[in-house]
Amino acid sequence: MGSSSGQSSNYDLSFKILLIGDSAVGKSSLLVSFISNSVEDLSPTIGVDFKIKQLTVGGKKLKLTIWDTAGQERFRTLTSSYYRGAQGIILVYDVTRRDTFTNLSDVWAKEVELYSTNQHCVKMLVGNKVDIDSERVVSREEGIALAKELGCLFLECSAKTRENVEQCFEELALKIMEVPSLLEEGSTLVKRNILKQKPEYQAPSNGGCCS
Amino acid sequence: MLKGKLKLPLPVPDKARRAFPDRLGSLVAGFDFKEEDYGGGSDLVVFEPGEELETFQPNGFVSDKDQSAGVANFVEESDIKVRPRPEKDGAGPVSTVQVIAVDEKRSDLEFELSRPEINLEKLQRIASAGLPDGGGLRATAWKLLLGYLPPSRDQWEKELTENRQKYAKLKEELLLSPLPWTNGNLESRQSELTRRKDEAFSYKEQHVDVDGPLRRHEISQEDHPLSLGKASAWHQYFQYTEMVEQIDRDLQRTHPDKKFFSGETSFSRKNRQAMKNILLLFAKLNPAIRYVQGMNEVLAPIYYVFSTDTDEKNAVNAEADSFSCFVRLLSDSVDHFCQQLDNSSVGILSTLTRLSDLLKANDEELWRHLEFTSKVRPQFYAFRWITLLLTQEFDFQPILRIWDCLLGNSFGVQDMLLRVCCAMLLCVKSRLLSGDFVANLKLLQHYPDINIEHLLRVAQDLSPDTSSYRLSP
Repeated sequence: MGSSSGQSSNYDLSFKILLIGDSAVGKSSLLVSFISNSVEDLSPTIGVDFKIKQLTVGGKKLKLTIWDTAGQERFRTLTSSYYRGAQGIILVYDVTRRDTFTNLSDVWAKEVELYSTNQHCVKMLVGNKVDIDSERVVSREEGIALAKELGCLFLECSAKTRENVEQCFEELALKIMEVPSLLEEGSTLVKRNILKQKPEYQAPSNGGCCS
Repeated sequence: MLKGKLKLPLPVPDKARRAFPDRLGSLVAGFDFKEEDYGGGSDLVVFEPGEELETFQPNGFVSDKDQSAGVANFVEESDIKVRPRPEKDGAGPVSTVQVIAVDEKRSDLEFELSRPEINLEKLQRIASAGLPDGGGLRATAWKLLLGYLPPSRDQWEKELTENRQKYAKLKEELLLSPLPWTNGNLESRQSELTRRKDEAFSYKEQHVDVDGPLRRHEISQEDHPLSLGKASAWHQYFQYTEMVEQIDRDLQRTHPDKKFFSGETSFSRKNRQAMKNILLLFAKLNPAIRYVQGMNEVLAPIYYVFSTDTDEKNAVNAEADSFSCFVRLLSDSVDHFCQQLDNSSVGILSTLTRLSDLLKANDEELWRHLEFTSKVRPQFYAFRWITLLLTQEFDFQPILRIWDCLLGNSFGVQDMLLRVCCAMLLCVKSRLLSGDFVANLKLLQHYPDINIEHLLRVAQDLSPDTSSYRLSP
């Protein structure tokens, strides 16, 4: 992949972001579109996939560790552990499939409630596939209303045309930086990482991923 | 359920089994060559006179005569990717020696498969070293290794005909019936449901143009479309449609780079339809598991190999044959797909623990680094490796090569699968030891190009002596 690895700590803040939502709504496509500026046909995600992106937002150099999860129900007992320590969660639906939208409140918001360890975690609702406007069945207004209800940010985008793709992640990051406790976590992760570079034996938990 | 159905031939004595891969080992730098394993297996050498010369992947070198026009188109692109990196294999242009080696390997296999009574142990050894592409050799060998074809050649015709008829009948009953979403005659309620559904439908048809409120006394409360009861025929119908859509979406995304599976040609559509039938039928016959994402990936190599068989009769019947072989292949690992079994001793988490144990037994330093220093848990990377039998980690041709080895293992597919997974970790050991959580996870989730023959030799040479990982032979 195009992004640089997280070895060096030439960034100010590090955040963990989680992508969730029904199968085939375009979570992986959204991520690939964001990371590598390209549009590809992708195989379904099994278990979890994981990518890094460094970017500058609001004058700060950020490292985003983005966890891309599988959508099918079968994988949920396994994905639950991926919520741990996430500062941002993106809930994705497909504007051309209503069930993926209703499942956000019926299923995914509940998963977040259940597994997210971060009570101030920033959530964002993203309606994907707006490029196929002729097949749209979930209106923008409905999306906004649900986002309000669930206390989320809201955006519509297209992983295919890359419309609003960068904005999704940038706005989320900006919002995370506005929350003092999350900002604190983000810089702690960086400090730990710098410490970790020198002594080999030191093994602090890294990236907020699991116990 | 399917557990335990996979019929594997009797295990070969360990010494003889290990002797085979070791003959190739001397070609690989850093490979621990075990002289003592050699002696007992010397009789094996007779069957592979060309093996020692084989320093390349057999996949890329299919002679023209073996590629029927239809098959060739879909092999070419991946062949280019597959060719091993020169610095590792020293493979320049195809040498005469190499062509001879491939030919000899092919003729060994042809000889073995032409015998009236197939020796499965020999076939396992030949398969472990890699089956040739093109023709129908791999298809026939896989069918034998999976126990779909019996060892006696003279029974093949009869077995195949019977199995294909059985499949056609199942399909007819469960997929082509007017009510494919109910569980067909497998479920006792079926006739009752059918009757009620038929009534509901005829009722609807008769009244479709009638204005005013529908009379609803003919539809039971349970079967009302808005009924949330799980026994409701409508609930089953919605579940079924949802599953069909899921399968469709996943098949569209199966090996999106291969024309055989993706795109809107009539050819790829036909292939997807066949695979869809297989997955749907499997789901119907296994209501506790149904369809799980990833089954499409496990089915793909089987269906590809069977439907590109140059024997036309076999190719035409690829769907029926693939179904049976898919069931057989999954029989010792289907529990990995079952969420309810995740925390049981047969579930995926316990298999991941076995992988961890196997690594520990073979390389404690690396195990320690992954578990405690970089904290890269097996579920972050090996969950996919294991449930999908490595189908998302490599290009298509190397997958087929790895599967030759999985299917040719006398201790079963899962045993070799864990060995290959462990070998994948060992082969990138130095990078893992110098990597942190992020670097290691990236490396293992996007496994680098690697010499597959080397990988498989490392896998075959792993120390098998851990208490728990081995499946009962």
